[in-house]
Parts: sequence; structure tokens; C-alpha cells
Amino acid sequence: MNFTFMIIKRLGSLVVTLVVMSVVIFLLVEIMPGDVAEMILGQSATPESLEALREERGLNDPVFTRYLRWAGGLLQGDLGESIYMRGVPINTLLWRRVGHSMLLALTAFIIFVPLSIFLGIVAGVKAKKTADSIISFLGLATMALPEFVSGVFLISIFAVQLRIFPIISVIPIGESVFSNLDILILPALSITFVMFGYVSRMQRSSMIQVMNSDYIRAAMLKGMPRRYVILRHALKNAMLPTITIIGMNMGWLFGGLIVVETLFAYPGMGSLLMTAIRTRDVPLIEACVLLITVVFAVSTLITDVMYGFLNPRIRFQGDVQ
Amino acid sequence: MKYILYQLKKNPLAIIGIAIIVFWVLAAFIGPSVLTYTHTEMDSLNQMVSPGVSGHVLGTDALGRDILSRIIVGSRSILTVALLTSMVSTLLGIVLGFSAAYFGGKIDQTFLRMMDIMMAIPPLVLSMVVLGILGGSSIMSLTLIVSIAFIPATARVSRGSLLTCKNNEYVDAARIRGESHIYIMFVEILPNTIGPIIVEATARFAYSIMMVASLGFLGVGLQPPTPDWGMMVIENKQIITDAPWAVLYPAAAIASLVIAISLFSDFVSKVLIHEQ
Repeated sequence: MNFTFMIIKRLGSLVVTLVVMSVVIFLLVEIMPGDVAEMILGQSATPESLEALREERGLNDPVFTRYLRWAGGLLQGDLGESIYMRGVPINTLLWRRVGHSMLLALTAFIIFVPLSIFLGIVAGVKAKKTADSIISFLGLATMALPEFVSGVFLISIFAVQLRIFPIISVIPIGESVFSNLDILILPALSITFVMFGYVSRMQRSSMIQVMNSDYIRAAMLKGMPRRYVILRHALKNAMLPTITIIGMNMGWLFGGLIVVETLFAYPGMGSLLMTAIRTRDVPLIEACVLLITVVFAVSTLITDVMYGFLNPRIRFQGDVQ
Repeated sequence: MKYILYQLKKNPLAIIGIAIIVFWVLAAFIGPSVLTYTHTEMDSLNQMVSPGVSGHVLGTDALGRDILSRIIVGSRSILTVALLTSMVSTLLGIVLGFSAAYFGGKIDQTFLRMMDIMMAIPPLVLSMVVLGILGGSSIMSLTLIVSIAFIPATARVSRGSLLTCKNNEYVDAARIRGESHIYIMFVEILPNTIGPIIVEATARFAYSIMMVASLGFLGVGLQPPTPDWGMMVIENKQIITDAPWAVLYPAAAIASLVIAISLFSDFVSKVLIHEQ
């Protein structure tokens, strides 16, 4: 079993997961109280017009037929139409929002990954000293802190008191997010707090483990500079578990995006999903959840591939199970 | 017991954590009876007043509702739901994870596949969508759905810890004695692997608080008139420039509880893992 085979196998299981997910999402929305036809036409619609619309949209067909039609549309890239926004194709709504969310996630990533890895290394190298105690306490404290809690503290300091950043992260009509990059900072920082806890703790413990290993001791005893040993020898191995933990926490990152986008009224995919749920917009909910699943699965896959590349044992032997 | 006290003495942060937890539990039990205002009372003469004005210790919100009363009453629901959630998800995790690891083979494979699929949706997204679709969350539905979303995490810990002692002699001995599978799993194995499971359960408590607060914040948690810390934050965010206390105190309440539980769970893991 080699590395390429492992990737193909993972892609296969990704497809299975997506098919099962699409069924689950479809069935879940099926049991949702409320009638789609009534939602489109409003309370005052006559039974005849409701029936006509149901017939026209194929809402009277059996569940299985409707699922196949929906899934067929998905495969052709047709996500359906939003109900709440009166038949606007979801494709025109969704992708701009996805871009915004990606940009926010990327900003958060750029902040928290280097920061937590660096502080994790410091804590691991200086284990049981003051610097370690401070960093470890911070990590522990922020690990389960909801994003909106750190978010409102950031808002009250940087937006209300110091007035450096805006209180809400809306994009003015007619402008693009790129001309308003300052609106990304506070939301990204709110996400950073949670991720920092996990990643720095992982980096710290794997650093401690590597620093106690024989080959590091050998390098030190050989008289190599400490900084060189840490950066060139220890870091390579100590990074591996951290990469896994970053990948595993992508799920929290997506949850965090929804919370943060809601707090800052940022027009991303998370706030779109919130709106879809609030307005009971069935096709939009289905599209958003499925997309989150895909992005999440792909990012997990990328993490695994990266892990494989960095770890020769997997690169040459494939998935060790 | 002596050992725990000794460990506690060495760990001042854990003492602080436990003190804060005790504070909130006491506040939830006896708080409401000593409050001057109720949590739904709208003091129309004192809207958005700052802390201390006419008996509103932590000020009021835009409707003139007392922030302190709402926080104290809100502590009841969040503590109840989070405690129940961590217990239910741990129990479900033990049952599922143990069965998968104990029987192994096909059952274990099926279990792992199912967990993979469940983990394909982030837990917060899963609970948010399900609660949003069902509408009108109650303590029951909130607990149940968040617990289910947590199963992959808790079941994996239980599965892993059963695997480590599945091949011990005392398990074989029990099997030869003719004990039932359930007896072996829960009477023979469980007491020997309870350490990591307890550690996971206390950490799960912190995550439950985080999750319940976030769901409340997103508006799919407990519905009004039950005051919810998360919901207070989003409701009052619009008035953050005029009445910051209406946002910051509920946020601080969440933060204090979450951090306290994290400190406590860190302590528990140090004690239990050191013991082994």
C-alpha cells in the first residue's frame, strides 16, 4: 500500500461520506414542520393554487424521486433556488458568501497558526518555567471560550474604546471586501483565541516529548547550538502532531465562523446559513450544510496528505493501520 | 483523598477554578431568592442605566430588565443543560464505544464508519441546523441533540480505553467464569478504565457550556422568557456603545464559568493520569 493508494482510498471514502450526508440532510429537512408551497405563496393562498404549485414543483412526488432530482441537480452544479428570496438561484447567492468566509478563515489561519506554534515551542522548550506557565494558562483559558465571548471583549476594547476597528464587519454596498480589509481583523482574532488553546497545547507537549528524545540529546552533547537543534532537528518531528490537531479542529473553525459572522454581521456563509435557518429556506439550508461538509472533508484530507508528506514512514509505506 | 488534597495544595489555579464553579452553583440555587428584581420585570424608568443605579447592581438592558437577575437566573439553565449534556454524551459514548471495542470485527468497523460520517459535520453546525429545523428548543431537546453531536468524541475515548485493557487476564478470567458480556464490560472493565473517561467527561463539561452558550447566541437555544447568557450577548450587542455592561457582564459570566471548568478539568487530568 503506497501513498497514492492511500489518497485514492481517502477520496473514495469522502464520496461515500458525501452521499450519506446528502441523504441525511435531505431527510432532516423533510421532517421540518411547515409546507414549502405555503411558504412560497404565503398564508392567504387558496388550496387550489397551493396544489398547482406543488404539482408544478413536483412536491407531490415520492421522497425518493425528489431526492434523486435534487442530487441530480447537485451533480450538475445546480443547487436549486432560494425560497425566501423568491426564486433567486442559490448559485448566485452562495459563492460570494463562500469567498468571504474563506477570506476570513484564511486571515484567522495566518494569525493563529504561526502564533500558536511559536508560543507552543517557547512553552515546550521552557517547560515548567514562568513563560510556560503563562502560555499554558492562556491556552487552557481560551480553549473552551466561545468565539463570541472573546469577540465582544475585543469589540469593547478595540472598537468602542480605542476606535481602531469597526464594531460591525459589513461591506458597504458596491464595494468589495478587499477595499475593507480592516473589518476582518477583529473576527479573525476572535477565532484565534479558541484555536490558540488547542494548537499551542499540542505543540508544547510534542515539543517536550521530542526534546527528551535521544537524538536531540545527542545533538546537544555534540555541542551544536541549542537554537539550531531546536529549529532544525526538533521542530521537524514536533510539528507532526500539531498539523493533525489543526486539521482535526477545522470543524471547530467552521462552527466558529458561523458564530463570529453572526456577531460581526459579516456577510459570509455562516451568516447565510443562520438566515436560511431563521427563514426556513429549505434548499438554502441543504446547500450550505452540504458545502460545509465538503469543505471540511477536503480540508481534513489536505491535512492528512500534508502529514503524509512530512512523515517519511507514511510517505513510503502508506497508511499504517 | 489525602493525595487529592496534596495535589490541590500544589495547584492554586485549580482552587480558583473550583471556587468559581461553587460560586455559580450557589448562585443558581439560592441566587433567585435574594434578588430584588425578577428577570422578566421591565423597569421602564430605568432603561439602560449603568451599574448601581436604583438597585440594579449590574445595570439594565434596553427594556429595563435587571442584568444581574438575568445572569443569575440564566446560570440555572446553562448549568443544567451543560451538566446533563456532559453526562448523557459520556454515557452514550461509553455504551457505544465499549460495545464497538469489546465485540470488535464487523461491529467495530461499522461503528468507526458511522463515527466518520457523523464527524463529517462540525458539532456546532450539526446541533444548530437540527435545533433550528425542529424549532423551539427545550432543555430536553437541547441536551439530547448536543449530546448526540458529541458522541464521536466521547465514544472514541471510551473505545480507546477499553481496547487498552481488553486483553488483560481478569477479563479472560471473567469470561471463563461465564459472566455475561454486559457484566464484563461494565463491572470488570469499566472501573479499571474510568480515569481517562472521567477526564474526558470534565473536559466535555467545558465544551458543553461553550456549545450551549453558542447555540443560545445563535438564537436556537432555550427560548424566551428563559434568560440565556448567549442570547443576552447578541440581544444587547446593538447597545454596546451606550450600555456595555449589558453585553460584557453576561460574556464575563460565560468566560468565568468556562475557564473555571477548564482549570478544574486540567487538575482532574493531572491527578488521574498521575495516579496510573
